[in-house]
Amino acid sequence: MKDKKKRIVVRIEIATISDSNEKLDRKKMDRLAMVLSNLQNSGKQLILVASGAIALGAEKLKLDQQPGSFIEKQATAAVGQAELIKHYQRYFDEYNQIVAQVLLPSDIIDNPVRMQNARNTFDTLFDMNIIPIVNENDAVSTTDIELDDNYPLALNVAKIVQADIILIKLDTNGKFLILPKGQKKAILVNDVYDLFEKINTLPASPNSVNLYKSDYPASINEILY
Amino acid sequence: MEYRNTLKYKKRIVIKIGTSTLSYLNGRLNFQLVEKLAKVLSEIKQRGIQIVLVSSGSIGIGAGRLGLTAKPDKLSKKQALAAIGQAELIKIYQKFFENNNQIVAQVLLTKDIVTIPGRQKNAKNTLKKLLSMGIIPIINENDTIATNEIEFGDNDTLSAHVAELISADLLIMLSDINGLYSADPKTESSARIIHTVHEITPQIEKIATDSGTSFSTGGMSTKIAAVKISSKANINTVITNGSDPAVVFKILDGEKIGTLFLAKSGKLIKNKVVNKD
Repeated sequence: MKDKKKRIVVRIEIATISDSNEKLDRKKMDRLAMVLSNLQNSGKQLILVASGAIALGAEKLKLDQQPGSFIEKQATAAVGQAELIKHYQRYFDEYNQIVAQVLLPSDIIDNPVRMQNARNTFDTLFDMNIIPIVNENDAVSTTDIELDDNYPLALNVAKIVQADIILIKLDTNGKFLILPKGQKKAILVNDVYDLFEKINTLPASPNSVNLYKSDYPASINEILY
Repeated sequence: MEYRNTLKYKKRIVIKIGTSTLSYLNGRLNFQLVEKLAKVLSEIKQRGIQIVLVSSGSIGIGAGRLGLTAKPDKLSKKQALAAIGQAELIKIYQKFFENNNQIVAQVLLTKDIVTIPGRQKNAKNTLKKLLSMGIIPIINENDTIATNEIEFGDNDTLSAHVAELISADLLIMLSDINGLYSADPKTESSARIIHTVHEITPQIEKIATDSGTSFSTGGMSTKIAAVKISSKANINTVITNGSDPAVVFKILDGEKIGTLFLAKSGKLIKNKVVNKD
């Protein structure tokens, strides 16, 4: 029987992996790769929803400021996505963990064929013990890119893979916020060890139709900071 | 020869490179070839020519990453390998282009860019913006959400659509064949390369079908189908062997390399600069 708490969507914001100057923080990146590779090693199936392509693209292009227009954002994202996936590969490689890149259109949920395709790809990657790193396909997106707001994408991915848990906010300083399927409130987790404990002792998720709360939990920032 | 001379003045070029050219027979990536390709394309860009690279190879590289020896048959397995391999592929391109101080971008496309006008405009804008920023976009099909039935299926077709999308003035397909032969060179000793094709007639299509099909996903027939798209869009196409990427320099010098398929209207011949020659 399928372990009820096996699939975890981890949402990563650029802040999760950058320092106070908005540059990639090597220590945080390394820590993140370690924690997630370890979760994967423990038998969980992880899927990362990682934003930051625009920020990394702007850094790569040595832009003085974040790109303003839609078209500039898209071009910067195309440069930055290549950087983003390169960094993830390098850091996960240190923990012997292979990753894959999956870029989804924002309307994937409206296209049953594409959605089934994405699901098949994810399932196969899970079987191969690979961590998919998902982002929106910003370079060809037709709706304006919201800087670093990948929560809707994380929800869509959770629906596609029928994840048991969404790890909403991940703070490498040691605090986590998890949203189990069918639960209305996110749970605050204090550190990595607590994270393992919480994930493993969560009650089995109810077969609720409304799987994930579609909005941010109201008190997300309150809980964290 | 004057047809070839027009190639000296091209300003926006789409280069397509296939799996069989990028990798060894065992499917593993040929780093030396990628290194050379990056060097050649970076230099051409330095001359003020805009370059878009359409590159295959993600599935083979994904298989190599996992140490698989056999190519997968199942679609979902191919898609999974493509997701792994594309990440590797773009990392390797970044590295080699960076050695030449050239920034690249990754753009993964689906057939939406042909069928949905909004998406088409969008992809066009992004690509043109990247080109204006001096970046070389590296394009592949977004395999993880594509299916055989509804998508491009091969990068020959994709490259022709991309060329049309950005109004390129030349498409160069680098593959493991030297060009279009008059007959199958493996069996007919009299077979020779047809250097110029003015129009894709049923006879040309027949030659393409007969002259060998053992070339990875896109055989000559697929290439001819792609050329129909580029030709109709008024874009000249050259098909040649890419085992030495420096061949692109020669093509742009007007040398008689591979097969040149002329654009439908022949309009490009009226190029002002050419008339001076």
